[in-house]
Amino acid sequence: MSAPVLEKPLARTGRAGGLLDPRHLLVALPDALKKLNPATLWRNPVMFVVEIGAAFTTVLAVLRPSFFAWAVVVWLWLTAIFANLAEAVAEGRGKAQAATLRRARTGTRARRLRSGDAAEWDEIGASELRPGDLVVVEAGEIIPGDGDVVRGIASVDESAITGESAPVIRESGGDRSAVTGGTRVLSDRIVVRVTQQPGESFVDRMIALVEGANRQKTPNEIALNILLAALTIVFLVATATMQPLAVYSKLVNPGVPDSPALDANGVTGVVLVSLLVCLIPTTIGALLSAIGIAGMDRLVQRNVLAMSGRAVEAAGDVSTLLLDKTGTITLGNRQASEFVPVAGVGEGELAAAAQLSSLADETPEGRSIVVHAKERYGLRERDLHGAEWVHFTAQTRMSGVNIEGRQIRKGAASAVLAWVREAGGRPADEVGRLVDGISASGGTPLVVAERNRVLGVIHLKDVVKRGMRERFDEMRRMGIRTVMITGDNPLTAKAIADEAGVDDFLAEATPEDKLALIRKEQEGGRLVAMTGDGTNDAPALAQSDVGVAMNTGTSAAKEAGNMVDLDSDPTKLIEIVEIGKQLLITRGALTTFSIANDVAKYFAIIPAMFAAVYPGLDALNIMRLSSPQSAILAAVVFNALVIVALIPLALRGVRYRPASASRLLSRNLYVYGLGGIVAPFAGIKIIDLLVQFLPGMS
Amino acid sequence: MQRLPAWLRPHLAAIRAVAVLTVLLGLIYPLTVTGLAQVLFHGSANGSLVGGDAGSALIGQSFTDARGVPVGKYFQSRPSAAGDGYDPTATGASNLGPEDVVDILPGPGEPGRQSLLTRVCARSKAAGELEGVSGARPYCTPGGAGAVLKVFPGHAVSVNQPCPTVPFVATYQGLRVECGRPGVDYAAGRTVPVRGDAGAPAVPADAVTASGSGLDPHISVAYADLQAPRVARERGIALERVRTLVAEHTAGRVLGFIGEPAVNVLELNLALDRS
Amino acid sequence: MSATAAGALFVASLVIAVALLHRPLGDHLYRVYTSARHNAAERGLYRLLAVRADTEQSWPVYARGLLAFSVISVLAVYGLQRLQDRLPLSAGMPPVTGHIAWNTAVSFVTNTNWQSYSGESTMGHLTQMAALAVQNFVSAAVGMAVAIALVRGFARSRSGAIGNFWVDLVRGTVRVLLPMAFIGALVLVAGGVIQNLSGTHEVGTLTGGTQAITGGPVASQEVIKLLGTNGGGFYNANSAHPFENPATWTNWFELLLILAIPFALPRTFGRMVGQVRQGHAILAVMGVLALASVLLTNAFELGGHATVPRAVGAAMEGKEVRFGVSDSATFGAVTTLTSTGAVNSFHDSYTPFGGMMTMANMMLGEIAPGGVGAGLYGMLVLAVITVFVAGLMVGRTPEYLGKKIGPRQIKLASLYFLTTPALVLIGTAFAMGSPERRASMLNSGPHGLSEILYAFTSAANNNGSAFAGLTVNTPWYDVALGLCMVFGRFLPIILVLALAGSLARQSPVPEGAGTLPTHRPQFVGLVVGVTVVLVALTFLPALALGPIAEGLS
Repeated sequence: MSAPVLEKPLARTGRAGGLLDPRHLLVALPDALKKLNPATLWRNPVMFVVEIGAAFTTVLAVLRPSFFAWAVVVWLWLTAIFANLAEAVAEGRGKAQAATLRRARTGTRARRLRSGDAAEWDEIGASELRPGDLVVVEAGEIIPGDGDVVRGIASVDESAITGESAPVIRESGGDRSAVTGGTRVLSDRIVVRVTQQPGESFVDRMIALVEGANRQKTPNEIALNILLAALTIVFLVATATMQPLAVYSKLVNPGVPDSPALDANGVTGVVLVSLLVCLIPTTIGALLSAIGIAGMDRLVQRNVLAMSGRAVEAAGDVSTLLLDKTGTITLGNRQASEFVPVAGVGEGELAAAAQLSSLADETPEGRSIVVHAKERYGLRERDLHGAEWVHFTAQTRMSGVNIEGRQIRKGAASAVLAWVREAGGRPADEVGRLVDGISASGGTPLVVAERNRVLGVIHLKDVVKRGMRERFDEMRRMGIRTVMITGDNPLTAKAIADEAGVDDFLAEATPEDKLALIRKEQEGGRLVAMTGDGTNDAPALAQSDVGVAMNTGTSAAKEAGNMVDLDSDPTKLIEIVEIGKQLLITRGALTTFSIANDVAKYFAIIPAMFAAVYPGLDALNIMRLSSPQSAILAAVVFNALVIVALIPLALRGVRYRPASASRLLSRNLYVYGLGGIVAPFAGIKIIDLLVQFLPGMS
Repeated sequence: MQRLPAWLRPHLAAIRAVAVLTVLLGLIYPLTVTGLAQVLFHGSANGSLVGGDAGSALIGQSFTDARGVPVGKYFQSRPSAAGDGYDPTATGASNLGPEDVVDILPGPGEPGRQSLLTRVCARSKAAGELEGVSGARPYCTPGGAGAVLKVFPGHAVSVNQPCPTVPFVATYQGLRVECGRPGVDYAAGRTVPVRGDAGAPAVPADAVTASGSGLDPHISVAYADLQAPRVARERGIALERVRTLVAEHTAGRVLGFIGEPAVNVLELNLALDRS
Repeated sequence: MSATAAGALFVASLVIAVALLHRPLGDHLYRVYTSARHNAAERGLYRLLAVRADTEQSWPVYARGLLAFSVISVLAVYGLQRLQDRLPLSAGMPPVTGHIAWNTAVSFVTNTNWQSYSGESTMGHLTQMAALAVQNFVSAAVGMAVAIALVRGFARSRSGAIGNFWVDLVRGTVRVLLPMAFIGALVLVAGGVIQNLSGTHEVGTLTGGTQAITGGPVASQEVIKLLGTNGGGFYNANSAHPFENPATWTNWFELLLILAIPFALPRTFGRMVGQVRQGHAILAVMGVLALASVLLTNAFELGGHATVPRAVGAAMEGKEVRFGVSDSATFGAVTTLTSTGAVNSFHDSYTPFGGMMTMANMMLGEIAPGGVGAGLYGMLVLAVITVFVAGLMVGRTPEYLGKKIGPRQIKLASLYFLTTPALVLIGTAFAMGSPERRASMLNSGPHGLSEILYAFTSAANNNGSAFAGLTVNTPWYDVALGLCMVFGRFLPIILVLALAGSLARQSPVPEGAGTLPTHRPQFVGLVVGVTVVLVALTFLPALALGPIAEGLS
């Protein structure tokens, strides 16, 4: 069995990803042409109307050819093609990723165990696996399906899905038991219980997602589509019903000769369709699905897989963010920051005892004590012979060393104090005060004692990651409440919460507490986002509106959440929220832009149609466009070009800076509302200056 | 009742509701108001009749003789579009638009139709003649028709001046101006109203326009002032006396800003008759 | 004082009066529609109606009751017109022609009060009192009921019910309209409006002729015609008629009657959703649009830019001397802004742009402040659409007053927004497409087009005013405009009630810094902008060939 060599398919391709390379357009062109098929295009009512209009004017141009008519026809078709191009470009990027993923999946064989502990297996195709099957995978082999390790431990290369080349450890039991189909075991041998249905593996879903194959429209997208359809109908009615009015106007002005825009039968078909296409919201109609696909794509670029677009949209709406303290708000480990001796004990003595007790302690806290002793007190690590190491257990809640007749312990205050009393020691009240003081400041106190004598307290400090306070301030401005979840006692939790700047905290949190908190927030109408990795997080992940499972987590967690972060970086949640918001803002901004554009188009087309019968209407030609034909053509050309011009914006998303809703709205209104009104005046005028030199334009 | 199909139940309630509310709002309410109004405000509730049944103080009248000629001793009301003039059983306005400037000239089998502009011009001319002032207005021909040209490539036509009337201008931008021939369709020409050189008209606006109701009981102070010398002359009384009566029957703006100053014509004429 | 300055003070005094009135009246309306207690008179009425006043209704039940009531009302009004010669107080009038009777019945039931007849020569006193005036009351009460039902949709959470139609109908009538109408009627009589049951009375004029002075229960009908933003005049000349609007101050008073309830309802809305400032925002949108429109209409009319007004020296054709140009223009703007349709001057003879303003006011969708109730619910639907687009721009699923604006809400709001323009434009196109229908025009050229456009705009928006030159008492216009009135009234109502139902079911989303604030000037400006742009985009082609072509000639 040869494992396919995988390049890094999902490596971050840079955040600028939306900048459009002309080559992308070219590559996407065939797809764009295929999408002209009315059977697929009708799902986009705006562009469907454009296509019908283009087809209709083509017939008219064939029947009564003129340069003007053909120019309009060409640009109407281009309008439809540009719209499809936007979608095809957006999809194209996903397709490339899907192709590499697909290679990881094909042809994998599986060795299915005949019974739980048997050594015999059958070799079958990976696609025949059912949930509950046990398969054995050895070094060098591809894991045939998603599941949990039930026996053994192995290092696994997950670069196929994460793009991260460093191998990860997967072992039975605990929270690192999940393996993903398509990844490769590098060492050892594991037995995996399959959890997926055939064809629904993680990789399968990923492929479907990045390809946008069965992309479901999200609620906001559906709502926006309805609004766009309604606007299209309004403009359809407005242009269609104009015809009898135009006929009448021509009739009562019999002295006015026929023009290319208006004759006795009313406004000519070509011009009428031009007006319609210019008025209906083609800009947003063309870019709407590209915006959605690109939004998912931006998540993928950040190595986050959303199981549905709905989840991405929900991320924008989140008003409560549950963040685990450890790893998200603070660096994973607490570090020794101070040795506080009790009265009568020298700092050096305490430091030495603390160091001794921690020499064999491989936990990060233990190592930090040794480091602190070395850096602060110059105590070097010693090689001790005959030392008897006492390891930490959940029962004793302390660790230490027995050496040369000394018994040194460090650990939780209650445990160590109990141990001291047991030996007849009577710890001074001072110890209690020191312990409480450290707790109150957000630190974790470790009491160090030598048999019946308390030496002092080690101050372990949670180190809040740099820049967290600023991020939480941003969140607050965005209207998002951050809640820190921690197993610490309330005192410690509060101190850290204050230092990090979160709005609230949940201390001594059990999974049940977490679930209850989510429910409470949701009852108040708030949307909740959280991250989780353990099996015991699964209910909360399932309950939350945006549940981001860490890729290192269990299958249960991944199943329960609606996103998976392949980097297993809990702070990613903040970026996910921003991407969700950016997605909605882009839609809103382009809708506004699209509608605002119509104002200028009226000023171009209405005088072009009717100034012949009512010369006074030429006063509306404030752009002073050179002729009716060039005015109409310029409007149509602008309408088509603006789609292409905005493809990069649609793919990249509009710039998003966290700010209050009011300020965001003001800014976007100025740029896309006011800009949307002004831009076409300039654009149409410039195009008119160029097209006026074409034949048949006067 | 309980066994009725669900769709029918609201209809029964609706029938009851319409019946009950009709009695309450359509009979009890208006009859109570009528009763109270008759007791509290007998005069106004019954139409504010004045002058021993000579009319209503609120409803304008025509002060013309049987042939429609203004009776000189009376102040004249505004033009009216209500029936044949001030007919309370056919109230209403002319409803002619602000650019209604082209007449349909009368001809064989065609009664013709005066445009609003021509009506204004004709009224202005008539009022000017009656009061002995100039009836000239902008956009009017000296003959009291709308001064409107239809311009064609080779010539122009003064469409409201039927041949053989001499057009109010001989040429327009070098084009020869012809008189209008009844029955000829001039629709293809470009419509050009010609302002002319008339200054501020002597005949006020309300004298040349029909009111909305057709029953406007008032005229403007300016129109009353215009008519006062003629009335004084016809009646052989001092102009000052007439002016005093006009002032007495002029209602100013309520609180200084509501409405426009207006002279009640019927009450003024009644007062003149009494004096 | 110049006429312009007086006109400006007139407008200012109305603004002040409305500002002073909106608070107590809005609070009163709030109490009326939220109180749990029925008074004795109401309990009696509920017994007569055989309805259970203490049960709440889901939106379909509410809508069924409303529609049933309206259908029966149409039948009653139609019947009374057709049989008026056999009933007392007919004042000698023959039965009303079938198509006119149908048109009038739907016209009054839909709060349009379009009149394809001339009151003084068509309707007997009983028909005026017991058919038309009754609908003036109840169609207004229905409008308020629907608005209140929608507000309940915003105010409630996880509820299937939006109120009880019969209770809302009865309370709106008995506690609001009837007492105000009663007092208002007597004020009008004091000002000279007649109130009697006499027939016509012949007087001998000074010059020896005769004049038929008409009689009738005018004041009792006039007051509710304005208070309920109905607009159907007792006489053809409507509020220009001296017996309907005898004095300059009754003109002011009538304008106040028109504006009172529409401008008070935003306050009621604010109280009911528990945020008075939200009501202020809606009020501000209405106020800004209304004031801008009144000022523009005044500017155009006082400017008098058109051939005939220039020849005359003022746009006085179709206007009364006592009101003058400015107060007439103000009335014209107010009546079209409020879905009233009463007129004290004839819009057909306005300057082209002045006339266009009256049309544009209606095209806004009768929302500034709109008809009694209808204005508020139309405005709230527009706010929903605005919130949707703006809400996306702040990066959240749009929400208004804590209610998410999702696909269902947008579907209902979009259909609402589609209905009236489609009716207006399609109706106009059908009329303009046929030479014999065009023959109904009084004026020719673009102004004739305006007459037809105005007619369908007025009917579909349930306004009822007209470019009255158009001859509309033909079977085609009576039926077509009647259908426009029916669809223009009841389709939106059904959509609004469905919207109310869908909103009431939701549980509210709490407000945060990420929520789009809908009470600030920013939002007010946005709703104004969205409204104006959408309306302009929809109607500009039609307006370009009518009033704009005429005005720029």
